[in-house]
Amino acid sequence: MESSVHVVIPVYNEETVIADVVREVQAAGDYTIIVVDDGSRDATFTTAGSMTGVVALRHRINRGKGAATKTGIVAANRLGADIIVTMDGDGQHDPGDIEALTWPIRLGECDVVLGTRPRVRGEMPLIKIIANKIGNIVTWLLYGIHVSDSQSGFRAYSHFAATIIDTKADKYEYDSKVIREINNNRLRFTEVPIKVRYTDYSMGKPQKQGFINGIKTLVRMIWGMLV
Amino acid sequence: MKIHLYQIIMIFISSVMLFQGVKEFLKRETGQTFLKFAVRLIVWGGMGVVAVYPNSTMFFAKMIGIEGNINAVILTGFLLVFLLIFKLLSAIEKIEQNISELTRKEALSHLPEQIQITHNQEPDESQ
Repeated sequence: MESSVHVVIPVYNEETVIADVVREVQAAGDYTIIVVDDGSRDATFTTAGSMTGVVALRHRINRGKGAATKTGIVAANRLGADIIVTMDGDGQHDPGDIEALTWPIRLGECDVVLGTRPRVRGEMPLIKIIANKIGNIVTWLLYGIHVSDSQSGFRAYSHFAATIIDTKADKYEYDSKVIREINNNRLRFTEVPIKVRYTDYSMGKPQKQGFINGIKTLVRMIWGMLV
Repeated sequence: MKIHLYQIIMIFISSVMLFQGVKEFLKRETGQTFLKFAVRLIVWGGMGVVAVYPNSTMFFAKMIGIEGNINAVILTGFLLVFLLIFKLLSAIEKIEQNISELTRKEALSHLPEQIQITHNQEPDESQ
């Protein structure tokens, strides 16, 4: 029996690209698309909601990427998803990778598949390579699993994993907290290489995981250990 | 050995906090990692040790070069302020989580109508 795949796209002020992102996902396969607008101040929600075959949900206020992703995963579970894929809404992820990302779950080999961005100079900006390595080390120290890309938002979860993973992280630390949940719940996981398209748009967003946001994420991760 | 009231209070508080920490760690409650458990053990265990053996602070005081009663009072004040900030930040975080949960519930309450809209759009596609 064919597994139903739901693609969750958390978005914040992405009115210029969200339509293209959705069209790309629709062209990549027969997926149910759930767009979660995290309190955008522009027309992101209206744009996503007007598209055919898109379930558009909206946070009344901005709560962060993690919170929006979690809302999308809960919605996908309610819609009876067998596999849930999360991807960024700025167009940097290639929906063509969804098939490869979901394949290990279809085979029943694992519960979570982590998309791994290539860390090669030229393909990934140097500052991102350094931040990525620091993020991986911190994630390993705090949560006990070393992965190649702890900050990647392009992931696939089985229905079981999506039900059992429970984190209250609202911001960018969500991605790392999922690693903790994998460890705590002894979930089977694997890593699959993905393509990333770094555009001027995705690199220029004020809400992206830049240096300052990276420091804030780090502080929140450590703070989460203490309280 | 003469026991003061502050020692009893400190031993009581640190025992409760240590008991909570051990219980949460053994039950593997969400978010209870070994590092978190170790931090709790050091902080509250340290307070317990100081309460039982007050002279142990002399070693520490000599090591860092702080001696005298007034310094102890100031340090205690700092400790209390730190605990207060810690408590406040924890409360703020809890409120933030509640806001997120409410926002999520409100967003998901529109899920049935969104599904209806999606179903209604399907015949249009075939036209």
